Amino acid sequence: MADNEERLRRTMMFVPGNNPAMVKDAGIYGADSIMFDLEDSVSMAEKDAARILVYEALQTQDYGDAELVVRVNGQDTQYYANDVKAMVKAGIDVIRLPKAESADMVKQLEADILAAEKEFGRQEGSTHLMAAIESAKGVLNAPQIAAASDRMIGIALSAEDYTTDMKTHRYPDGVELEFARNMVLHAARAAGVAAFDTVFTNMDDTEGFYRETEYIHQLGFDGKSLVNPRQIAMVNKVYEPSKKEVANAKNVINAIEEARLKGSGVISMNGQMVDRPVVLRAQRVMRLAKASNLVDEEGNYLEK
Amino acid sequence: MEIKDTAVAGTLESSDIQIMISKATDGIQIELKSDVEKQFGDQIRHVITATLNALGVQAAKVKAVDKGALDCVIKARTIAAAQRASETTATPAWEVL
Amino acid sequence: MDEQIVDLYLKDPPVRQEWERFLTSIGIHNFADKEVDQIDYTIGIYSGDDLVATGSVAGSVLKYIGVCNKGVTTGARFNAIVSELVNRQFANHVFHLMVFTKLKYSESFQHIGFSELARSNEAALLETGSPDVADFLSDIPRVADQANKKVAGIVMNANPFTLGHRFLVEQAARANDLVYVFVVNTDASLFTTDERTELVKANTQDLANVIVVNGGDYMVSYATFPAYFLASTDETVNYQTTLDARIFRNVIAPALSIKTRYVGSEPLSRTTGIYNQVLARELPPAVELKVIERNRVNSDDATIITATKVRQLIKTGELKQLPRLVPAATTQFIQDHLKTLQARIQKGMNIDGN
Repeated sequence: MADNEERLRRTMMFVPGNNPAMVKDAGIYGADSIMFDLEDSVSMAEKDAARILVYEALQTQDYGDAELVVRVNGQDTQYYANDVKAMVKAGIDVIRLPKAESADMVKQLEADILAAEKEFGRQEGSTHLMAAIESAKGVLNAPQIAAASDRMIGIALSAEDYTTDMKTHRYPDGVELEFARNMVLHAARAAGVAAFDTVFTNMDDTEGFYRETEYIHQLGFDGKSLVNPRQIAMVNKVYEPSKKEVANAKNVINAIEEARLKGSGVISMNGQMVDRPVVLRAQRVMRLAKASNLVDEEGNYLEK
Repeated sequence: MEIKDTAVAGTLESSDIQIMISKATDGIQIELKSDVEKQFGDQIRHVITATLNALGVQAAKVKAVDKGALDCVIKARTIAAAQRASETTATPAWEVL
Repeated sequence: MDEQIVDLYLKDPPVRQEWERFLTSIGIHNFADKEVDQIDYTIGIYSGDDLVATGSVAGSVLKYIGVCNKGVTTGARFNAIVSELVNRQFANHVFHLMVFTKLKYSESFQHIGFSELARSNEAALLETGSPDVADFLSDIPRVADQANKKVAGIVMNANPFTLGHRFLVEQAARANDLVYVFVVNTDASLFTTDERTELVKANTQDLANVIVVNGGDYMVSYATFPAYFLASTDETVNYQTTLDARIFRNVIAPALSIKTRYVGSEPLSRTTGIYNQVLARELPPAVELKVIERNRVNSDDATIITATKVRQLIKTGELKQLPRLVPAATTQFIQDHLKTLQARIQKGMNIDGN
């Protein structure tokens, strides 16, 4: 697992890498992560131009606090090597490997990133990576893929290619993705990295989008990949903690603070010991509450 | 970098700029079409020229159709067009990016 | 990323039907095979199951551009389609593109980098890319003090160069300081552009004040005057030749100081006949039009010398009659290449047109 503070990754917005209007405006929608795409949304003739465009935009555009991700072209393409080099040089936060099927592919990417960090004088280890699972083989190898690198921040299910590989297609109820979703999620949790759900492309089906987002939220995914900025607020709404959850989390935070002031190594609340998962969960709820503007800087609940 | 062939990068869509670079015998000539020519024409020409100079292009004919591109887009499209025109796309000039 | 541009395969009947239905709904009606067959490829944008924008390319000419703006920013789909076609052609190393369009769309094309070459009341012809008309003109040889010379121009397909062409050029050369002979650049004739150009040069090299140049995309090319190569209605010929004449009058003639255009009288070809009438209407007073009567083979033979007749002789192989119709260099070429020429005719090259 990448040695970075756990951050919110509710929304990862796809931005076609050769579209200047979308690349320029990607920061204004408040996505937790922005994924610039050099792969499927860019035609072969424009691979070079998209790579340069994303590079130059990263040098000059302000994307706020968003985590910046680039999906490079696959390792079996002629574009991959230059994509990785350019993005490492640009100082991207995360490189996303498409069509990941084995731990070796991740290790190869890690080696290529390290070489580029050395070549361009970037701090070694500063570029993180993630893997997209897009095939039956990838799903079955997900535990090894998720644990393959210290730079790994998460794995994502990519359902379009996966359902094709499975000789099916996407259905509104998502039954065809059940195994893959659970596999990817378990692999991510076991490795201590984030889990991202796949995109939902029918922009006209708002109800279906909410249904799917609530479902993957219930399973435990960190968030969802998105193709349209309008979906960001919808996902955030689903991930918004309830008033009760915020109050509980606030109590845990208070108990931690109490223990710190007492100099006690043991955190207790209501006579029970508060263990690490509970602390982590409380911190996560407070982050979500802040991001959803439910609490002020001090963590006080804001009545709407 | 030597311009060997005509090449183009960029599109005619909003926020983009289409840059066509062709061989020339001497100097960099720029023909620019832009809705914001009056306010930003000089700046656009400057970014194109500076980028070509950084790439070591001494002579080129440039036709640019601007659709309201930011400087970083102008630079990116100029680099992409120049690399295509000099047939160096596979071996980018990393130091100029 | 909402609306993807997709390839439309017009060979697929349902696709072709949907495409025609959409274009018809926005006022485009000409789907004659001879027009549609010229198309290299077609792209489109769907909104749901409905085609909402399309465009095609034939060589260096954009065709059948049609866009529905319902529910979207006006111009967005038009820009996407034209931009995609332009980019694909550039990627195919076709860097110069032209488009014939209804006058009302001229501005939309200019907005995305096209320049207008000529316009009539109904239509406009525009170009983009490189080399453009300025590049074309700057490459044409000039003589010292040309602006003060008597300069004339002739445009000919010369398929092949006959004694009639020779007579026309001689008349012009005698009456002017300098004569440009522009050879039609489209390869849709029995003799290729290279062959036709070489024969014009060979048969005029004794005339010191004649300069032979390729007519590029600007004079009777497939881009400016497709009806010259495809059977078309009088109306179509009229509207295309109006633009062709105006490019010559407004762009070509002033740049080269051409004051007179020479044409041969046209008793036989309907298309060329209309062209001559349009030239007579459009060119003066900026450019004088001189119509030279076609000479006949000799006084006791009423046969009018035409390239069509020459092509028929090639087909039948009756080369004995050739010297009465064409100059020596043309005869020589036909004798040397008879098999090749006949093979082209056998393969279906039309020899009855222009």
